[in-house]
Amino acid sequence: MNQIALDIRGLAKQFGPKVAVDNVSLQVPSGSFYGLVGPNGAGKTTMLSMATGLLRPDAGQALVNGVDIWADPQAAKATMGVLADGVRQFDRLTGRQLVTYSGLLRGMERAEVTDRTEDLLRVMDLSDDGDKLVVDYSAGMTKKISLATAMIHSPKLLVLDEPFEAVDPVSAANIRDILNDYVKFGGTVIVSSHVMDLVQRMCTHVAVIAGGVLKAQGSVDEVRGEMTLEDRFVDLVGGRANNEGLSWLRTSSN
Amino acid sequence: MVAHILKLKLRLLANGFKRSVGQLVGVIIGGVYALGLIVMLTLAAWFTAGESAIAGEVSIIVASLVVLGWAVIPPLLTGVDLTLEPSRFVHFGIPQKALGPALVLSGFISVPAILTIVGLIGGSLTFRYDPLALVVGIVAAIITAVMAVLVCQYLTIMATALRAKRRFREFTFAVLFLILVCLGPIISSIAMAASSLVDLVVPIANVLAYTPLGAAAALPGAIAAGNYVQFGICLVLTVIYLAGLYWLVSRATAKATVTPPPEQQAAKQSGLGFFKYAPSNPAGAVGARALTYWFKDPRYAIGVLMVPVLPLIFWFVGNQSGNYTMMFLLGPFIGILLGFSISADISYDNTAFALHVLTGVSGRADRAGRALACLTLSIIPVLAAAILPGAISGEVWRIPGDIGMSLAALLVALGVASVASARYTYAVPLPGDNPMKTPPGNGMRVALTQLATFTTMGVLLIPVIIPYLIAWFQESQGLSFLTLGIGLVLGIGLFLGGLVLGGKWYENRAPELMQAVMLNK
Repeated sequence: MNQIALDIRGLAKQFGPKVAVDNVSLQVPSGSFYGLVGPNGAGKTTMLSMATGLLRPDAGQALVNGVDIWADPQAAKATMGVLADGVRQFDRLTGRQLVTYSGLLRGMERAEVTDRTEDLLRVMDLSDDGDKLVVDYSAGMTKKISLATAMIHSPKLLVLDEPFEAVDPVSAANIRDILNDYVKFGGTVIVSSHVMDLVQRMCTHVAVIAGGVLKAQGSVDEVRGEMTLEDRFVDLVGGRANNEGLSWLRTSSN
Repeated sequence: MVAHILKLKLRLLANGFKRSVGQLVGVIIGGVYALGLIVMLTLAAWFTAGESAIAGEVSIIVASLVVLGWAVIPPLLTGVDLTLEPSRFVHFGIPQKALGPALVLSGFISVPAILTIVGLIGGSLTFRYDPLALVVGIVAAIITAVMAVLVCQYLTIMATALRAKRRFREFTFAVLFLILVCLGPIISSIAMAASSLVDLVVPIANVLAYTPLGAAAALPGAIAAGNYVQFGICLVLTVIYLAGLYWLVSRATAKATVTPPPEQQAAKQSGLGFFKYAPSNPAGAVGARALTYWFKDPRYAIGVLMVPVLPLIFWFVGNQSGNYTMMFLLGPFIGILLGFSISADISYDNTAFALHVLTGVSGRADRAGRALACLTLSIIPVLAAAILPGAISGEVWRIPGDIGMSLAALLVALGVASVASARYTYAVPLPGDNPMKTPPGNGMRVALTQLATFTTMGVLLIPVIIPYLIAWFQESQGLSFLTLGIGLVLGIGLFLGGLVLGGKWYENRAPELMQAVMLNK
C-alpha cells in the first residue's frame, strides 16, 4: 500500500499576470484527515482542481495513490472521490438518478450501484428527497448529494472542497461521523475549509496556504505549536494589521 | 438617491463591455448595424417628407410596432437585464418615492433604449416642412420611447413574478417558439389576402392612434393635417396612458420590493427513469442522462420542436408555390438538424460537466452516450419523414433512396457533431435560463463554428448525394437502392469514426473543455 495518498510536487498555475498557485508541494499521508486552510482567494480551489484533473497545471505533478493524474488520468481518478466547489450538478436529474449516474459512469455494477445509492441517501438524510429534482434542492442538500456522488465507488482518497458550507449543523455532524469512520478504516480525506475550529477538532494534519504559497504543513500539533490553530493561522497569513476597528459601528456612543 | 442608482446602472453597462473584447466587438457590430438602420430610416423620413399623403399614419404604425416590440420581446423572449430588478433592492430601505423614478429612469440607460429614442426622433423628420408638426413630432417621439420603456418595465416585473415558476417558464417558451416560427407564414398569408397594403395602413393607424401604442405618435400627424379635434383627443389620451403606466410601474415596483421570491413547487419523479432501461455501462449511463435532458431541459426542446415545425413550413412554402418537391427533402433536413443538435451538448452541461471529468469516464463512452441518445430519439421521426412523402405521392421507387439519404444525413451529422463538440464549445443559455436568451457578443464565433460544422457534414455526404440525385432524375429504383446501401455504409462508418475521433479529442482536452464551460465560452 502506498504511504502517500496524495503527493503534490511543485504544482504551479498562473492566470495572466496573477500567480494563483506558486510551486506548491505537499504530501498527504494515507489514513490521514487532512485540512487545507487559507484565506479567500489563497489558491485552495485552484490547487485542488489541478490535483483532481479539472485544471491542467503549468508545471508540477500530482500523484494519487502513486499514479500521476496527468499521465494516467483514468487510473488515478478511479481511486479518488471529489467534491468540487462552485460547479453545478446535472440538476434536472433526481437525487437518486444523480447518484446512480455517478456510479454507472465509473463502470460499477448496477446491483451494487443501486444498493449503495440507497445507503448514501439514507446516511445523508435524503431518503425522502431522493425523487425530487436536484434543481429544487437547497444549497445544503445539493452539497450532500454531491458528496454522495463522490463516495459511491468507495474511493481510497476523498478530496472535498468546502464540504460544510451551507450544510446545517445536524447534517454536518452526520457527515463528520461518516468521514471519521471512513478514515478509521483506512481512507484518506482532504478537506478545505475556512473554519479553523472545525479543522483543529477534526483533522490530524493540516496545510496552510496563502497567496498561492504553502506556509506550513504537518500534523495539527506540529503546525499550531502552543497556540490555537486559528491564532497560528492569522500569524502565518498576517491579516490582523489594523486593530482600530470601526468606531462608528458602536451604536451606543450615539 | 436617484443619481446613485443611475450611476450604478451606467457603471454596470460600462463593466459589461469591459468583460471581454469579443463581447465588445459583438456589441459594436450590432450597434453599427442598428445605427445603419436608423440612418436609413432617418434618410427615408427626410426624403419622403411632404411627398407621402399617409406619413402621419405610417409613423403611427412604426411607433406602435416599436412599443409592441418593447412590450413583447424583452419580457418574454430575450429576458431583460435584471441587474436593477426591483426585488434586488429589497434589503435597502430606499424610500419608494426615490426608487420608483430611479428605476424608471435607469431603464433608459441601455443601448436599445438610446437607439430607440434616436431612431424615433429621426423618423419624426418626415414632418420637416411643417415646423410646428416637427416640434410636436420630436416630443411625441420621446414620449413614445418613454411609453415603450415603461410598458417593457411593467410587463417585465409581471413576467418575472410568473416566470419564477419553472413550469410556467418552460411552457411559455414552447408556445412562443411555435408562434414565432409560424409567424412568417401567417403574416405572408394575411399580406397576400389584402389586395393593397395602403388600404390597410389608414384603418389600422386610425385605430392605433387611440391606443397606448400609437396615441403619442398620432399627435404630429394630426397637427400637420390641421385636425385639432383629433390632436386634442390624442393629447388627453397620451397624458392618461403615460400617467397610468407610470402609476402601474411604480406600484408594481413598490410591491416587488417588499415581496419575497415565491416558493417553488418541487418536481418529482419516482424511480430511475431512463436509467432503469439503459445498459449498465458508462456509455449507457451517459445516454440515459442525455435522454432525460432531452425531455426535461427546455434548451433541448428547440431541437425537438423542429420536427413538427419543419414539415409545416415546407408545406406552407409548397402551398404558396404549388410545388411540393421540398417535402422530399424533409428526411435529410430533419436528420441533419437533429444530428447537429448535440454539437452544443458539453456547453449545455455547463460546469456539471465536472462530473464527467472527475469520474474519468472514457471519451468514447461520453461521445457514444450522447450520440446514441439523440439517435434513439431521432430515428423514428427521420424514417417517417423519409418514407411518408414518397408513400403519399405514390412514388414508391424513391423511398429506399430517401431512407438512405436521410439516415446518412442523421448519422454523419451525429458523427461530425461528436467531433466538433469535443473541440469547440460556445456560450449558450445557462441551465435554467430562458432558452431563447443568447449570450451577447459571441454571434460571430457561433456562426463560424456552425457554418464549418454544416459544411463538413455537406462535404462528407457528397458520396450519397450524387447517387441520390441521379436516382431522383432518372426515377430509377435500382439507383435508389444503391443510395440506400451507400448511405448506410457511409453513415455508419462516419458515425463510428466520429465517436472514436471525438473520444480521442475529448480525452486530450477534457480539462480545457472544463475551463471553457466554467467561463461559458
